[in-house]
Amino acid sequence: MNIEHFLTNANPGWMKNEDGSDIVISTRIRLARNIAGTRFPNSFTEEEAQGIEDQVMNALFSIEQNPYHFSYFPIKDMPQLQRQILVEKHLISPNLAKRKKIGSVFITEDEAFSIMVNEEDHIRIQCLACGMHIEDAFEKARKIDRYLSRHITYAYQERYGYLTSCPTNVGTGLRASVMLHLPALTVTKQMNALIQMMTRLGMVVRGIYGEGSENLGSVYQISNQITLGKSELDILQELRDVVEQVIRKEKSARKALLIRAPSTLEDRLSRSLGTLKYAKILTSEEAASCLSNVRLGVSLGLLEPISQSRLNECMLLIQPGFIQQYVGTTLQPAERDMYRAKLLQDKLSEQDESVNNGEKGEDSI
Amino acid sequence: MICGHCKQRPANVTVTQVQNDQKVERYYCEICAAQFHPFQFEVSEEPVSIQQFISNWMNFLPASTTKEIKQATEKKTTNCPTCGLTYRQFLKQGKFGCENCYETFNAQLPQLLERIQAGTKHVGFKEQTISIEKIKHQIETLREQLQQAIVAEYFEDAAKIRDEIRLLESKVYSGGEGQL
Ligand SMILES: [Zn+2]
Ligand SMILES: [Zn+2]
Repeated sequence: MNIEHFLTNANPGWMKNEDGSDIVISTRIRLARNIAGTRFPNSFTEEEAQGIEDQVMNALFSIEQNPYHFSYFPIKDMPQLQRQILVEKHLISPNLAKRKKIGSVFITEDEAFSIMVNEEDHIRIQCLACGMHIEDAFEKARKIDRYLSRHITYAYQERYGYLTSCPTNVGTGLRASVMLHLPALTVTKQMNALIQMMTRLGMVVRGIYGEGSENLGSVYQISNQITLGKSELDILQELRDVVEQVIRKEKSARKALLIRAPSTLEDRLSRSLGTLKYAKILTSEEAASCLSNVRLGVSLGLLEPISQSRLNECMLLIQPGFIQQYVGTTLQPAERDMYRAKLLQDKLSEQDESVNNGEKGEDSI
Repeated sequence: MICGHCKQRPANVTVTQVQNDQKVERYYCEICAAQFHPFQFEVSEEPVSIQQFISNWMNFLPASTTKEIKQATEKKTTNCPTCGLTYRQFLKQGKFGCENCYETFNAQLPQLLERIQAGTKHVGFKEQTISIEKIKHQIETLREQLQQAIVAEYFEDAAKIRDEIRLLESKVYSGGEGQL
């Protein structure tokens, strides 16, 4: 699988399983591991780095009982734009994308699995899943972890568990995250109090498009903070409990909005769809906020149906790296805003056509 | 000042470049500057960096405690034998340099972990530190050594290696399901 596959595809395999969850967008599991006997990336030599890469490569490309098909990409061979797109797709971290020499990533065709090598730790296993699949995604990540452990000796201690460069990851090495769309809680200004509550419960809450854009598109990522002193299953269960509580709050906030201001709400959401369909210039902020409104409108049944996966695809597409990749050249911010509007219109009209065709088909039967 | 590239818009971005060991400053407007450096990453780092975390922690502590920690770390400047890190450097960068750091700084660790974690002991899945595959691999390398020892007529060594192989083989094949 060459790199173009991963760069042009805004609708990877893992995003295609729809399960009708309109609040939970995706789940992400990450396991941090290091290989015994070699210093961590912040203090190792280039030879040691190469040794780590070779070990992981041998394990992942070994033919014996290997159920996985990974493609391998050294970061140093990638132009900036390609790196940025992999960051936007959450396949690599911004930290790895900045590297000049050391570091690489292994990705499966459906992008559900990616393994970063020599980022902060020697090995970071990631599993992405659509909707709320915390335990399922964890099991899948753990399978890869078990597979690797048959070929590699991990840095592990009875007392502290899996040893990581940063003590915030030590123990289980597990970071589980759920990405949630919370427009009603955001617009009714309940998020700050809720974030405080979640922080007290040991969770970390961030916006998806990065800090400083905390509620851009009303999408939040909730992850566990604790990795030591709790078992994997407890960590996952606590995250699930918090997420389910937040989902209940979002649902009741939506109900309240519908009761208190139905026509204002419908007007606002419809206008957002109008903007996405007809605007000629869209900043990423405006696009994210319109997409959020449209997602809410679709899920409340106030707008025409648009599939969750189409909306997820749009959320990826509005990012600067993606737009430039689509157009095939680097763009100035003002130009990006024009292409962003065009791209979104193309995507949304594709959807309209397929819905119309479906209806025609039914009529003709 | 007017943008050095388009010569139209006002310049409000300074770009410093190094050419032939000389610093050259250029002034561009926002649009042209973005054209030359188009890939400012608009995506953020991993969740809460430990640097932030530890510096927050240091700030939260009363001044006397902070001083104590400083004194304590200054007094015994133990370096990790494998990576050379001191505890002081660790507090600064928030990251360990190798797995042995966990041994080296074992005395200071519980105090730190209690604040950032739920406990100071791993209670999650246990790693089987020795797997069948690894032992089999070990046996293979030992067999090669055995051959070499026999060829070189180092019979004493060969006998030792043979015993080692037998011991490992008994581990692999006595474990019923193949599990240790
Ligand atoms: Zn200019
Ligand atoms: Zn060390």
